[in-house]
Amino acid sequence: MTPPSTPGPPRPVGMPADTRSNGARPSDYPVSDPDEDEDDLIPSPDHGAVAVFQAPQAPRRPAGGPSPHGRGEGEHADIDSPFLDLFSSSAGRPAPPRSAARAPAARVAEPLRRPVEATPAEPVRRPVEPPPSEPVRRPVEPPSAEPVRRPVEPSPTEPVRRPVEAAPAEPFTNGVGGHGIGTESIGSPDRGGESPAVPEKEAGPPIATRSPARADRTPRHAAFEPELEPVNLPAVREPGADPLVRRPPAEPATRRRPEERRPREEPAPRPRKEVSRRQEVAPRSKPVRPPKIKFADRDPAVNLAITEIAGHLTFTPNTVTAWYWLPEVRWAFRPDAEREALLSAISEQYAGLAGFRLHLRRTTRPFPADEWARTLDMNTPQPLSGVPGATSWSDHLVNAQRHLLSVNHAEGQTYLGVTFARRSLGDSFVERLLRAFGRGVAEGERRKLGRTVEQFDEVLGAFGMRGRQVTTHELEWLLYRSVALCMAPPTTLSPVTGGQWERGDLLALTEQIERYRTPYGSTVKLVNRMTAEERHVAVLAVGRMEPLEIPERHEPWLHFHERLPWPMELSSRVDVLGSGDSFRNLEHRLRMIRSQQLDYAEHGIDAPPELERLAKRALVIGDEMTTGLPVESARAHGWHRIAVGGRTREECLERARRIIQLYSRELRISLQHPKNQDWLAREFIPGEPVANTGYIRRMPVKLLAAALPQAASTVGDRRGDLIGRTAGTCRRPVFLDLHFPMEVRERSGLAVFVAEPGGGKSTLLGALGYLAARRGVQVTLLDPSGPLARLCSMPELRPYSRVLNLTGSEHGTLAPYSLIPTPLRSEFASGATGDREYEIAVSNARAERRMLVQDICSMLVPPQVAREASTATLLRHAVRQVPAEETSTLDDVVACLAGLDDDNGKELANLLLDTAEMPLALLFFGRPPEGLLGADAALTVITMAGLRLPDLKIEREYWSAEEALALPMLHTAHRLAVRRCYGGSMSSRKMVGLDEAHFMEGWRSGRSFLVRLARDSRKWNLSALVASQNPRDILGLDVQNLVSTVFVGRIAEDVEIASEALRLLRVPVNDGYEATLASLSNVDTASASRLGFREFVMRDVDGRVQKVRVDVSYVEGLLDHLDTTPTGAAAPQSNLPSATPDAEV
Amino acid sequence: MRLRTDDDIYRARLVYLGPPGYTLPVHLPYAQYGVFMLLVPLFMFIHYLFTFDVELFPAWEIALAVVTTSFIFRYVDPDRPARMVVRTALTDWRRTREPASEQRDPRLVATRIRVREELV
Repeated sequence: MTPPSTPGPPRPVGMPADTRSNGARPSDYPVSDPDEDEDDLIPSPDHGAVAVFQAPQAPRRPAGGPSPHGRGEGEHADIDSPFLDLFSSSAGRPAPPRSAARAPAARVAEPLRRPVEATPAEPVRRPVEPPPSEPVRRPVEPPSAEPVRRPVEPSPTEPVRRPVEAAPAEPFTNGVGGHGIGTESIGSPDRGGESPAVPEKEAGPPIATRSPARADRTPRHAAFEPELEPVNLPAVREPGADPLVRRPPAEPATRRRPEERRPREEPAPRPRKEVSRRQEVAPRSKPVRPPKIKFADRDPAVNLAITEIAGHLTFTPNTVTAWYWLPEVRWAFRPDAEREALLSAISEQYAGLAGFRLHLRRTTRPFPADEWARTLDMNTPQPLSGVPGATSWSDHLVNAQRHLLSVNHAEGQTYLGVTFARRSLGDSFVERLLRAFGRGVAEGERRKLGRTVEQFDEVLGAFGMRGRQVTTHELEWLLYRSVALCMAPPTTLSPVTGGQWERGDLLALTEQIERYRTPYGSTVKLVNRMTAEERHVAVLAVGRMEPLEIPERHEPWLHFHERLPWPMELSSRVDVLGSGDSFRNLEHRLRMIRSQQLDYAEHGIDAPPELERLAKRALVIGDEMTTGLPVESARAHGWHRIAVGGRTREECLERARRIIQLYSRELRISLQHPKNQDWLAREFIPGEPVANTGYIRRMPVKLLAAALPQAASTVGDRRGDLIGRTAGTCRRPVFLDLHFPMEVRERSGLAVFVAEPGGGKSTLLGALGYLAARRGVQVTLLDPSGPLARLCSMPELRPYSRVLNLTGSEHGTLAPYSLIPTPLRSEFASGATGDREYEIAVSNARAERRMLVQDICSMLVPPQVAREASTATLLRHAVRQVPAEETSTLDDVVACLAGLDDDNGKELANLLLDTAEMPLALLFFGRPPEGLLGADAALTVITMAGLRLPDLKIEREYWSAEEALALPMLHTAHRLAVRRCYGGSMSSRKMVGLDEAHFMEGWRSGRSFLVRLARDSRKWNLSALVASQNPRDILGLDVQNLVSTVFVGRIAEDVEIASEALRLLRVPVNDGYEATLASLSNVDTASASRLGFREFVMRDVDGRVQKVRVDVSYVEGLLDHLDTTPTGAAAPQSNLPSATPDAEV
Repeated sequence: MRLRTDDDIYRARLVYLGPPGYTLPVHLPYAQYGVFMLLVPLFMFIHYLFTFDVELFPAWEIALAVVTTSFIFRYVDPDRPARMVVRTALTDWRRTREPASEQRDPRLVATRIRVREELV
């Protein structure tokens, strides 16, 4: 069980952080609570919610906590519901074990979600009430507090208003809680000390005050209030989400009570009269007797056509449908050949379903931000401990989740239903009969169908759709989502968190969805009477379609809608006709056209040219059908609908207008907005009939396959930091854990960043460094130009970071010999092979040192001298003389050269000493100071402030002395940055970010450095980020197969570099993707403000490529500190996507 | 891949030009003639119900059928099938624009669906 303590009051998005919130996460982050879920988080189990990472609290709960089932006699005392008495008897029943098991989750979610929603509503109406943080504590208030306080609250001055408004807000939830299972979650007695002061504590006449409340309410709502249970509220709502809130959406309960799960017992809510009558009677009647709950609901309800779900089959009285789950497929940045192969595989699968009616359904699921946050937290064993005054780790995670929710990423879920069997009258009669005995479809029939349905598993499971059978759970989810079209999904369906919906729960939730229509209306209004969520839905039908060139020019036509930033639902009802059927169908049409042509000829009138053209086409198609493969001839005749939702009718229609416009402009598909929307909306529900035969589209199965509603563009792992979202055809959040390649995929950790100057490399590098440092990764950033040093001044990092400015460092900081660490014997396996490996590694290190020293020396001497053959020989000789150990210095080499009885050698020594006159060059000479780079700092930024970097396009001869010195400095600085990572333990997470890596090109040691970095990265769990302006140096280094993650930013100037970058991404070159690179981070020329975001094309370790918009604005102050642009401080950065107003729950 | 629907083939406008040798001045789709031919006897029957008399040349009936046919085909087309038009007319006939009032549709309730984890 989760502890009763509440995880701090999460605040609604946009409210300023209050310092009382989730606090720091000290080292004793609770692991102790025995009842806790396996992970120590207190997340709300619902998707819309923000998992709040709770500061540790003493596990007070077990001390006096009531047993899960045990409910004291006076337990109801704390619940102030007018309907409490209704349930008094059922409260006496022992709660079913299942519900008891689920109780903890219910309680977890409640405190979390409540304040977010309740806060805006409550303070206005209840000035007497404690501050907004109050609801958080509510559920665990002492039993005695509430009942007394509540009834009295309506002060004499506002006798009528109070009950009317307050009553629906809170007490009902409690009442329901009291009824089923929730009491123990409400009445934990251990929070007495924290409960808010109870203002007036006299026992008032409870009934007297409550009655007016009901009387004033509209009958319909009053009737349903026993069920009032705002389950479906999204955790973070946009303000004004419900313009027509009829009831303040306060106090969401988490789940349905068991009575709703047992439909046969209590299928519908009680009528109002019943409720009020019982109300008045109940308190007087002492002996508790079970209320006879007659849900004679007066408002009409129609049962769906589906009567049974069995496994992945659904039964209606006439048909049986098998449902399959179609996993998402990658579409963006794939070679056209691959895409075509995919499409033709899918169309073959469709053709294989000839003769059946399909229902292709796509719905969405809001991104489970809390799940992600939990994963991230689990992957972060030691986050940086909090600094007073700065955001703590838990707040950081909460911010990230809020950001995720505010920009609204929805994940698509695609279902395919194959209606494959007609049921005989006998079958459905038997079902009816058996239902009466609680058994449903006869076993014989199911057995028979089970054999038939196997053929679909085979057809759909193959490459292409790769469909798998859905689970009953998913079917329930689909049914709920279809009934509550475009509404916020029920909040607790989550695969991991323990907030599972039990069987039948979701179906019961459909009870709450009311539907309204207006005559000739263009939308349907859906109201969830539990949450008061109101949604207007417009259903558009796919009308006339012009020819499409799907892999080449156009996007899949049912994936296309994902460009728009709000979720939509799709439903396609398709009859697949096999070659015989479709040929007959078409031939008939062809004959009619022919006869019309003849008619014209007979009458001596010119036939319209269209007729001629159509006749020709029909001929060609007919020929294709008779001679071609089944794929060519199979046809899909069907109806395709898109449902668009909005909070108001205007918003809905505006969205519909936008999608119609987008489709007609980009895909040349005209979406129609027919009347009879209620029927169309009903068509989305599996098993319901097709609304009408209008807008039937007849197409080859290839075109249907090219609809590809399951296309997606995900990239990144789902366990790392949030770095932005995909910016291509749909919006998905992008997470990046830089250690994922090493720890899970067993690949190298080299990540490459390529972009033109100003493309955002450094900012991304800094942001990743920051995020990694937050997670306790030892981060070293090499930033020659220096702006990243400002990261160290961020309040949360300041105590853990240090800046090393090389230009102001002591002698010997960059002494080349010591830059290459000697391997330790302990790093290798024991035994003879280990010895051997160790020896090899030691001699490799020596060789590398020699190579580095040679390179550094030839960088230090003038290029003319370095180019001479004798120089190389002499240097090699000298380096050979000096022992290649860490303790050697460059001075030894100079001394060795000077000691040679060769003029050239002496000259070379003098040249080297000449350079040593420059203060910067002294860094190379002498011994390194002790403890230069301790392993303790979480973030170390190495800068070379004031150093002028040379232009590599200019010959070395023309570089100034300072510029010439920058080259060896950069080389050694790279080594220095990595050197630090070899200090600690091998398995600890390390990250090193190297900017300006293109200076490593053209030198042996540079090449070996990168290769070694890529090779070592896995062994040392070292994530190396290498930023470069030119992908050629990475490609040329032949480490491409060691590169795990690639970011390519804007490359507009140089086509050659662009194609190199594409090669790095492993995206086909000369396929038009160069233009994509050029259009990244495109500036709107009309706007005067700076570009608030940067776009990259990213390839993750699994080879998925996607356009990504980097957005780390959720980290407070990070962008200000990362801003490398001079005027940065003045211009406020707004990295939120421009489409935020569109985003919705 | 260039992909296109077969819709244009089904969309072809098939009109009756007239009997051989004589071209009618107006060309109407076959479907309209069909509807017309159904409507004339219908109106004749209605007329008969009133008058118990069958006229030799049902002039009124023909005229009414022409008007009715054109009226029907103003509202009915493949994308707005007759059934839907009738249904809309039955449910929404009072109003032609979006009114302020709205009426409640039956809730669609899935509670009674029986769920079985495994098929067999």
